Amino acid sequence: MVVGAGPAGSSAAKHAAEGGASVLLVDRKKEFGVPVRCGEGVGSHWLKELGISISDRSVCARIKGAKLVSPDLKSSVTISTPETMGYVLDRKVFDRELAIDAARAGAETALKTEVVGVTKNNGKVTGAILEYDGKKTEVKSKILIAADGGESLVARMAGINTLATLYDSDFGVEYEMANVECEGLIEIYFGKSWAPRGYAWVFPKGEDVANVGVGIGGMEKPNAIHYLNKFLELDRFKKAQPVALKAGIIPVGAPCRQLVADGLMVVGTSAHQVDPIHGGGICLAIDAGNIAGKVAAKCVGEGKSDAKALSEYEKTWRSAREKKLLRRLLLRKVLEELNDDDYNAAIGCLNDADVGKLLDGNYAPVAGKVLTARPQLLRALKALLTSSETGRTL
Amino acid sequence: MIEIDRTKCAYCGACVGVCPAMALRLRDIYVEVYNDKCTSCGACVRACPMNAIELKK
Repeated sequence: MVVGAGPAGSSAAKHAAEGGASVLLVDRKKEFGVPVRCGEGVGSHWLKELGISISDRSVCARIKGAKLVSPDLKSSVTISTPETMGYVLDRKVFDRELAIDAARAGAETALKTEVVGVTKNNGKVTGAILEYDGKKTEVKSKILIAADGGESLVARMAGINTLATLYDSDFGVEYEMANVECEGLIEIYFGKSWAPRGYAWVFPKGEDVANVGVGIGGMEKPNAIHYLNKFLELDRFKKAQPVALKAGIIPVGAPCRQLVADGLMVVGTSAHQVDPIHGGGICLAIDAGNIAGKVAAKCVGEGKSDAKALSEYEKTWRSAREKKLLRRLLLRKVLEELNDDDYNAAIGCLNDADVGKLLDGNYAPVAGKVLTARPQLLRALKALLTSSETGRTL
Repeated sequence: MIEIDRTKCAYCGACVGVCPAMALRLRDIYVEVYNDKCTSCGACVRACPMNAIELKK
């Protein structure tokens, strides 16, 4: 049984079904993929690295690059590449397609079905109590896969701690807005006044429509909506009108310490499998779901469901992804310590050609320039340079 | 006691994710509150992106 029909759950359901397991995919919502709680951006490099393909229908806009804006708004640098750097998706369509794939692979699906309890026998998860159609029913499972997102309770009810602490979470809110002029670039605004311990963003969704949002660190006051309202006071949003509101929690700390137990696997955002720098989790969720689904099918086929057998998922996932995520978490800690003057100086002294050099791996001249402008940035630069991939993924 | 202002709530589940007491649950179109479990720690208040939650005595 898979709980949660987001990217992680649907991918797990699909691969488990393809592997011959009989699969039930349940979700509390009346419509898979709705409501959307996401900036909807994905980077091409993740798609490539994880071998994920996306349909034309789920793509709202192709992104040429990213524009980083300094806290004082006086300067910006643009990172762009000749090929498409990323996509802004329509998550409603995207998630629906993944669920359809799971159903086509043979998974049964259930809407408006809430998991209100987990059943156990001798410490082993044996099923879940589902609430639907006005009644509670116990349904047995050989393996329960928890993919119920940042608000995950299923894994916690089963005994794996997926609680998101305030410190290790970001909280985001965004409007999808019309009448926003965009240049086909995602825009990232740094600075304590815009988004403490996070960033504010404009993600174009095609023509004059964009997701405009902020994500802030969990210990910050006041709440995220305050910062979004302030961001929207900028002149460029004068004509902007909201057409949708999206909010959510992003667990940006390290992935959960435990991903499997007897009869249980945790995948996706509920397992905190999220990029700590930009808070993106779509690709990581699909990747983890794919691995978990395959392992689940294999284990069911062999009649196994103990933690030891299921740990093949945890081992495969950790060895493939965790090191990189932890490196990026360290980088996040360094970036969090930068103040507005640091960002103003760094972004202010760079031009687009410098960014081109960075992308080509030619760090030295750029680092020299930044250090001349702001010697205090030595530590941060060191961390940037030791964390490979950074130039491409920022 | 947790009190959620439904005119502000976006049903995003952030409060559910940070509640150490599992006193909140995200349902299809609303957030269910179990005040008997609440320890008044205030994590949900801090977390709520919409500033929709208050703790009341």
